[in-house]
Amino acid sequence: MSGFDLCLPARFSNILPVSIEQDRLASAEPRSARGPARAASLLLALLMGGHGPAAWASPPAGERVQADLLAEPAAIAAGRPFWVAVRLRMLEGWHVYWRNPGDSGEAPTISWHLPPGFTAGPIVWPTPQRIALAHLVNFGYTGETALLTQITPPGVLAAAGGVDIQADVTWLVCQSECIPGAAHLSLGLPLAQGGTTPEFGPELGPELGPELGPELGPNTGPENRRQAAAQEATTAGIFAVARRAVPRPAPWPARMELERDWATLTVDGATLRPPVRAAYFFPNAETLVRHAAPQELSIVRGRLRLRLERSALSTTPPADAGGVLLIEDTDGSARQAFELAEVAVGEASPPAQGISLWAVLQAAALALLGGVILNLMPCVFPVLSIKALALIEQAGGSRQQLRRHGLSYTAGVLAAFTALGSALIALRRAGAEVGWGFALQSPVAVGLIAYLLLAMALSLSGVFHLGSSLQGVGRGLAQRGGLGGSFFAGALAAVVATPCTAPFMGAALGFAFTQPAAMALAVMLALGLGLALPYLGLTLAPRLIPCLPRPGAWMETLRQMLAFPVYATVAWLVWVLGQQVGPAGLFAALAGLVLVGVAAWSFNAAQSAGGWGRRAALSGLLASLVGMAVAVAGLEPNPGEPASGAPGAATRHEPFTQARLDALISAHRPVFVNLTAAWCITCLVNERVGLASAAVEAAFAARGITYLKGDWTRRNPEITRLLEKHGRSGVPLYLLYPGDGQPTVLPQILTPATVLAEVARLPDPAQRRGSPPTPARE
Amino acid sequence: MQLVARRTVLAASLAGAAAIALDVALAPTIAYQAPQARIGEPAPAFALSDSNGKSVSLADFKGKTVVLEWTNHDCPYVRKHYGSSNMQRLQKKWTAQGVVWLTLISSAPGTEGYVSGEEANKLTLARGAAPSHVLLDPKGEVGRAYGAQTTPHMYIIKGDGSLAYMGGIDDKPTTRLDDLKTANNFVDAALTELAQGQSVSRPTARPYGCSVKYSS
Repeated sequence: MSGFDLCLPARFSNILPVSIEQDRLASAEPRSARGPARAASLLLALLMGGHGPAAWASPPAGERVQADLLAEPAAIAAGRPFWVAVRLRMLEGWHVYWRNPGDSGEAPTISWHLPPGFTAGPIVWPTPQRIALAHLVNFGYTGETALLTQITPPGVLAAAGGVDIQADVTWLVCQSECIPGAAHLSLGLPLAQGGTTPEFGPELGPELGPELGPELGPNTGPENRRQAAAQEATTAGIFAVARRAVPRPAPWPARMELERDWATLTVDGATLRPPVRAAYFFPNAETLVRHAAPQELSIVRGRLRLRLERSALSTTPPADAGGVLLIEDTDGSARQAFELAEVAVGEASPPAQGISLWAVLQAAALALLGGVILNLMPCVFPVLSIKALALIEQAGGSRQQLRRHGLSYTAGVLAAFTALGSALIALRRAGAEVGWGFALQSPVAVGLIAYLLLAMALSLSGVFHLGSSLQGVGRGLAQRGGLGGSFFAGALAAVVATPCTAPFMGAALGFAFTQPAAMALAVMLALGLGLALPYLGLTLAPRLIPCLPRPGAWMETLRQMLAFPVYATVAWLVWVLGQQVGPAGLFAALAGLVLVGVAAWSFNAAQSAGGWGRRAALSGLLASLVGMAVAVAGLEPNPGEPASGAPGAATRHEPFTQARLDALISAHRPVFVNLTAAWCITCLVNERVGLASAAVEAAFAARGITYLKGDWTRRNPEITRLLEKHGRSGVPLYLLYPGDGQPTVLPQILTPATVLAEVARLPDPAQRRGSPPTPARE
Repeated sequence: MQLVARRTVLAASLAGAAAIALDVALAPTIAYQAPQARIGEPAPAFALSDSNGKSVSLADFKGKTVVLEWTNHDCPYVRKHYGSSNMQRLQKKWTAQGVVWLTLISSAPGTEGYVSGEEANKLTLARGAAPSHVLLDPKGEVGRAYGAQTTPHMYIIKGDGSLAYMGGIDDKPTTRLDDLKTANNFVDAALTELAQGQSVSRPTARPYGCSVKYSS
């Protein structure tokens, strides 16, 4: 029944000849011995109580490990699984090992010898301790530990009397020196008689009630655990303690991103409350991390991240990235251990390799090109049309004046991009997971832009006049005051450009934000310069001006007509806002828009009226401005169901979650991922044009492609991370996962032909699913 | 994100002093060596006294394949390989082909496996071992530089000084003699590949055994 160290170094063997003899006897006992030997062990088991209290509280003198075998129920029944424990009790200062022993050592092994039809499950490992020796670290157990195993009897048990369960256990026990040990353990168990219900104990795993959860109180030291065990030195007590030491299955998805030197473990614990003071990850794989290296913890909004130093002993991704995560509360009063069974392994986004000037220049060139193309995107159109009008207005002015306007406009664009870029960089540095278009994820920002554009449209309609340059055709030409207007128009163009993504722009910005702040800003400025370039070019090359129509009365009509695209933009922004804040918030925003009208009218009245009328109008203006501020400040993201985002996409889809994507990938299913936002016009156009066609839907169905749609209208860190992983900082992003291997990134401007061509390149579904549907092609 | 930001700050400042300051701030509370020996990179240089009191440095063996074997004669895992003559056979086979075999002892004085030069020579004689040199590293500096964790822990350095293999001697991390019959000896395989002018197909493996008894 007891185990002894098998192989002692010379210096011990002269002290302990008796132990060695006993051990030889124990291990020499023939396994096949039945009859007398079995009867004897059964008798002994009965004498000792079998499942009763341990006969000794610590290993006999001279032995380092005392091993015994315990069963939870007093008697077993056919087909009823039950738990047994191999208990290892060590001398003070000695330890045995976890399944990953760490820098050295060896995990215990159990080899079962069971009656016919009986099966044994795997060892359920208790949460290990971190045991440091010089600069090396081991994972294991001191004091005592119980290795639980579930044994399942066959459905029919013919034998009367009882069964005999035997286990060959080996271990390595170390203090500073290491000594291998082995024991042959056996246990006799009677069959339950009719009428008695054996105590089988609760299941392990998620079924564990909270009272049986692995909340390790402050008394988790082996000393205390031993005391607790001594207090209830009953089988039930021993098993209860053993269960508490087993890590609970983690309720959260976990991921690991691998770089050459680092492995970053991320646990999406929405229920992880902030007061996590410390966390430690015990990896299952033996050569994944440097066990002795410190693990750097960061927690951002319920996401726990541990930065682990990779071991140089393995250059390939681990087959099993799982392990046990130990979490400690702020006050250290509670420790919890979680089993991370499934950890998805991903390659980290390409690491920023210092400052590569060439790469930054390339990104800046792409951004410049993207900026120029941005002028053609629908977001910028209203503002650009106003600028075109201003250009015609000013065509008769001096070249110098024109140049000044062009430069003011450019300065406005660049200032706005600098402000946006700086805010983005600052937010990211503060730990927020945001990307391009982040401002439009805030309902307040969307509301403010809507107010601003409405005011502008009202001005175009002639409700009020802003600045002298806009007063009357041709009058503001020579006036320098118009420069402020140009600057403002530039800034506005930059702000309204954010919902649009142009080709080349996504990649450039995605790269920019992996770079140091100065480099990121340089790329942002290149994008702004690209946006301003067409207008700037016209003002700097006045030879082109004569090609433009001559100013005249028609311009007043055109100006009034141009108000309508701007009203349309406002309508669209209100719709976006509706997605973000729901009906109640929408009412506040619409009330704010009414107040914009009041303010515009008051402003005009104040300019034309005098005396009391002027004061009344001014106070009206002030009141409406305050009202607008109140209305916009009350806009809070609707915490309810996710914004349904872009409508019009007829193709059936599921909402994107990383967990769903991981599950589909591990099931080798092809997946199409569409990351979009209601405020992203490019995304909406792509969905209508490229994805909503029947042909695409049919092709998806034929290939068994699951369509996951991620809505970034409101902030969503999971989507931000997926974007970053593919080198992007904003939507849209289209990914086609082939079922095996890396996804294809589709272009940012989608056509049905592009999508169908990519889908057609997927492996034949017939091979995968065994049915031969013909892929729909057009 | 904070980490990325921190690295960004670091790179942007480009100030070596700042980098050092941050490294100090992030320094672990336990003693642990930051650099790791890496496959394909130059193996850390060293010079140690051998069991005969002669100074031996890695640079002495430029152009030759060098095997490093960390050992502790009282460790049960080492005893498996010496008790079965498995290690001695390997030493004889490869030193006969011009490979330099260096057995290193990093046990601190007073710990298991620590020996004087004289005792080391007696052990070599008694066990019929055939290393080119037994090197004494009682301060554990060379062991730490290589990241030697266990006894045995094996390294192979190519003639050009780059590290070609590190890890366990085979794929059976036990003390059972029987396991040697079915074990796949990674060191023998790597040396064979190197002798044939090939690259090592399995350059790393999990090291197993007792921990190296370093001075704290």
